[in-house]
Amino acid sequence: MNQELEHNFVELLEKHQNIVHKVCRLYTNNYDAHNDLFQEITIQLWKAYPKFRGDAKFSTWMYRVGLNTAITLYRKSKRTINTQDFDGVEFKIKAENYDDTEEEQLKVLYKAVHQLNDIEKALVFLYLEDKDYREISETLGISEVNARVKMNRIKTKLRTILNP
Amino acid sequence: MDELDLLKKDWNKDDNVYPKLTYNEIYKMILKKSSSIVKWIFIISLLEFAFWTFISFLLKDTESIKRFDQLGADPIFIPLIVIGYIILVFFFYLFFRNYRRISATDNAKLLMENILKTRKTVKHYVAFNLIYLVITTFAALYIVLNQNQIIVAQIEKAAASGEVFKFYAVFIIMVVLFLAIAIGILLLFYWVVYGLLLKRLNSNYKELKKLEV
Repeated sequence: MNQELEHNFVELLEKHQNIVHKVCRLYTNNYDAHNDLFQEITIQLWKAYPKFRGDAKFSTWMYRVGLNTAITLYRKSKRTINTQDFDGVEFKIKAENYDDTEEEQLKVLYKAVHQLNDIEKALVFLYLEDKDYREISETLGISEVNARVKMNRIKTKLRTILNP
Repeated sequence: MDELDLLKKDWNKDDNVYPKLTYNEIYKMILKKSSSIVKWIFIISLLEFAFWTFISFLLKDTESIKRFDQLGADPIFIPLIVIGYIILVFFFYLFFRNYRRISATDNAKLLMENILKTRKTVKHYVAFNLIYLVITTFAALYIVLNQNQIIVAQIEKAAASGEVFKFYAVFIIMVVLFLAIAIGILLLFYWVVYGLLLKRLNSNYKELKKLEV
């Protein structure tokens, strides 16, 4: 039984692992930290898995556990000290599809998003993942109206970071 | 198009930029131990419960406490000890109940609240112990000053030379100083350990609460 549970879980996570990578991408800025957070999210997902009910989508459920781990449960390891800038190193922005200005803008944008606080990053993450305000509010435990207001403030904040 | 929409376009463009972990790599990960703050809070809390229980056992066996027993302090100390254990059991129950409520699948705010609640139980237990420490110390002080033959003799001697006030003052100042140092060390420990552990959680929780205003 346990083996079957393990097998199902690992298979599902292997299929949906990009969600976890994306969380790590927003919340860490170097390769070691990325792996460290990925590891912790995986453990938390696995610990919560026996209670996972099939009526929720596995990916939706992953968003919640992934973000909760990044925002609340994760204790940064010592290894994260040797910082190396991530975006542009690990995640090559696809230059061929953009003109120069767009590529430059994107680089600056990713940097700006990294400067946001943990909660703001969570909102941005869910927004980028195309979640509606209802799901954003349910994931974070705030009201829909407040999620909307905060999102607008984040947009303004990003604009200010980009055009000081 | 605003900035975030530009980012969204890129974000969802190509999933191949991410590392691709194999089945075996993921399998190895689930066998590893978590290092989440909940785990640390759990360990530190158990150590705290153990520490205070240990202290009460340790005190019971010391020479001075045995000498104390001869002073007829039981009517005061037995109820204090019984109350101490009842409260320990009560806090232990509360701690486990709160700990079991922590779930990574709750929404972020509820998860943070449940962690803080668990931590608060232990905080209250320690506060209780500090108050308990103060009460028992003063109870002990009272008994010693009244019934210990050596001390009583010294008080009488001090009274004869008109220095009884000085004698009491020195005694009480010493006890207060001892308590202040003990409490100071504990508070410092709290400030460092929990400060480091919960710094991030507290600031994120504040940020979420701020949204509700």
